[in-house]
Amino acid sequence: MSEWSMDELQDWDRKICVLGEALSLDWYPIDYEICDYKEMIGHMAYTGLPTHYRHWSYGKSFDRIQTEYNLGMSGLPYEMIINSDPSISYLMTENPMSTHILTMAHCVGHSDFFKNNRMFAETGADTVIDRFKAASKRVKKYMEDPNIGVVAVEKILDACHSIRFQVPRTPGIKRRSHKDLKKYYTRLLQKDKTGFFDGFNINKIPLEPDQNILRFIADNDRSLAEWERDLIRIVEQESLYFIPQAFTKIMNEGWACMIHEKIVQALKLPDKYHISFMRLHNQVVRPHLGQVNPYHLGYKIFKYIEKHHGFDECLRVREIHNDETFIKRYLNQELCQELNLFSFSFDKRASVNRVAEISDDLGWQTVRDDLIKNVGLNSIPVVLVKELQKDGTLVLEHQHDGRDIELSEANKVFEFINDLWSGDVKFTTIIEEETWEF
Amino acid sequence: MSTFKEHKTIADRAASDRSRHRQKIEKAIKESIRDVVAEESIIGQSGKKKIRIPVKGIKEHRFVFGANEKNKRVGSAQGKDISKGQQIGHRKRQQQSEGDKPGDKPGEEMYEVEMSLEELAGYLFSDLELPELEKKNFKFTTQEKMKRKGKRPYGIRPRLSKKETIKQKIRRKKAAIKAGSYDPESGERFTFHESDFRYKHIAPVVKENTAAVVFFVMDVSGSMTKSKKFLARSFFFLLYQFLNHKYSSIDVVFVSHTADAQEVNEEQFFTKVPNGGTLVSTGLIKVEEIIEKRYHPNNWNIYTFYCGDGDNWAIDNKEALNAFRRLKEVNQVMCYSEVGANELGYGSLFGDGSGEKKLWDWTKLAEDKNFKRIKIKKNSDIWPAFKKLFGGRE
Repeated sequence: MSEWSMDELQDWDRKICVLGEALSLDWYPIDYEICDYKEMIGHMAYTGLPTHYRHWSYGKSFDRIQTEYNLGMSGLPYEMIINSDPSISYLMTENPMSTHILTMAHCVGHSDFFKNNRMFAETGADTVIDRFKAASKRVKKYMEDPNIGVVAVEKILDACHSIRFQVPRTPGIKRRSHKDLKKYYTRLLQKDKTGFFDGFNINKIPLEPDQNILRFIADNDRSLAEWERDLIRIVEQESLYFIPQAFTKIMNEGWACMIHEKIVQALKLPDKYHISFMRLHNQVVRPHLGQVNPYHLGYKIFKYIEKHHGFDECLRVREIHNDETFIKRYLNQELCQELNLFSFSFDKRASVNRVAEISDDLGWQTVRDDLIKNVGLNSIPVVLVKELQKDGTLVLEHQHDGRDIELSEANKVFEFINDLWSGDVKFTTIIEEETWEF
Repeated sequence: MSTFKEHKTIADRAASDRSRHRQKIEKAIKESIRDVVAEESIIGQSGKKKIRIPVKGIKEHRFVFGANEKNKRVGSAQGKDISKGQQIGHRKRQQQSEGDKPGDKPGEEMYEVEMSLEELAGYLFSDLELPELEKKNFKFTTQEKMKRKGKRPYGIRPRLSKKETIKQKIRRKKAAIKAGSYDPESGERFTFHESDFRYKHIAPVVKENTAAVVFFVMDVSGSMTKSKKFLARSFFFLLYQFLNHKYSSIDVVFVSHTADAQEVNEEQFFTKVPNGGTLVSTGLIKVEEIIEKRYHPNNWNIYTFYCGDGDNWAIDNKEALNAFRRLKEVNQVMCYSEVGANELGYGSLFGDGSGEKKLWDWTKLAEDKNFKRIKIKKNSDIWPAFKKLFGGRE
């Protein structure tokens, strides 16, 4: 039995909410669900959503999380919150009251971030739960349809999952349909007097290279069955929903840590809670050797901003920035050195990792830029739909940014795309300065 | 104000996805096994020795950057002093062997499954849809035996069961006393009645023989090169494991032949230095002799597998065909297999020219559900050939 009661939880929540408002935070109401560790593992495996479509990969992560947890290799998260209105968060029965207090204060920070950061403007927080529920029902229906079945559904989902991150990196900007783009370019061509658009083929598809491979396939492959197209859209929509979170991981966690610290300090916890709170807080925001702990980095930067520009500036920053701009603007030499950041890469010949740059006077900017290359979706190669040829060949191109892709993996993904696209698929990239095509 | 609700435990939401994932792993194990069946380290292993089988994890793939100098990542060094070019972390074992095997790429999840030959055979053959197989191709020889089967009120005098008959009489006597129709004090004798008689009953029972004998017949003449022999050996190994998996006891007889045949032991069978010409029929006739002497078809399930490279002296082809025809009658399954890529023209050294029919064509005449012909050109043909033989799923 737990050493706390529902009434206690509600008491603390009331106090936390008052303090949150005093910080002029503005968050969605939060629905806390009390669950046991097994359910928590379930939520973790299924991206946190209370309803999610079935796929074996989630079973795989469930097993992995459970094994690691049982072996004591990793703990379970204290907080898990969904960007929805109201926000849904899970509290684990097994956790002590002090952990719940930290979690609830932390969740206020997250929910405030979801509601205010501009990256999340288009995520449809009010309808997301229903949308996922409907999607999971449709996937279930296809799996149970004797004419389709689990295997066929899996084949499409497997393929979609391989390119689920190949989506636009501009959250909040609406996709323009081919028709709209055509109108736009036609007007440009008519107005153009500079000759810039000479030789521009207005009939080509797509008119602009398309980052959203899933959507492009769903829109342009006519031989897809309606259920296949639906599955592709379901995966695409889920990706679009999660992209803002990938874009703001460092900020979001840093913000929530800063908020829970502020709130809990103001709560004036009794000693028995305060000590365990401090222990937990320090554990969450500690640096990880050889890695970047987003909680730690975000927390440090926000603290720095508060110290030099005040809390109001923090409120403004949490609204308009994403990880990339946040780091570019605020991670300065002082912070780089305090965190002792360095960049490293894999030396193939010696088969070891080597330090490439350290945060000294000359190197800190390089380290910062290397960090930027790894935040958000920057750690995932950009692959674009370049052209849809007349014979139905889909031409994909990797936008080389200095980093070569892993060919063996690309090959597998290529096969998956072939499973989706009815025509031929062509893929080009650059490996060690040479063009590769398959 | 937030709301709190206690989450009612719903059925484990991941149950079906987990079992689906496990199915995929099982399948991967089976597929990995197929890759290793033809490997030398396994063939020829006997008994309970454990074999380690690498199984690729079920991985989800996506576009990623390769691990190289240009792909920089960032970390925090905490309080440590570091300098440019410094080596950090430990050498990763996985990455060292990169390039040796396709499965050893960094980040590849590998399961290593350890199993004994028996378990391995179980995995392999589970794919052959055995239940179906048993009905169709997997016959046991049968034998009729008379066995006791209870008592009955009629029969011949010699099978009278005195004990059972007396029991019946006593039963009747007690009933009569109870009914008052017989008084034990009266001194009157209570006699046997015809309805008391019970006779032992015996009935014929069909018994399956679960003993099997496998004849491995191989051509060891000059044209059987080492690589051909290895293919033959791999194939025999699988067959042996399969039959062993199926029967309670199994005898294996090795017969090697050139221009004449002899029974040899396993070691001699696979290592004998090849020489001489080829008369396939001699090997088969030898098998017939052994069957006659030691393995009566009524008591034994007989399997004969012939393996050669198809080069037979032309004059012998007819005789070999007849021997195959005779043998298949007493065999559960008989198989003629040809190993190795046929080098063109080699056979014609012994034949009358290119127009001459090869043994492969001759044996076609005898082909039916008991007599199968298969060709094994390379390692990867072994498993499909095996499946063809026992009618598994493709």
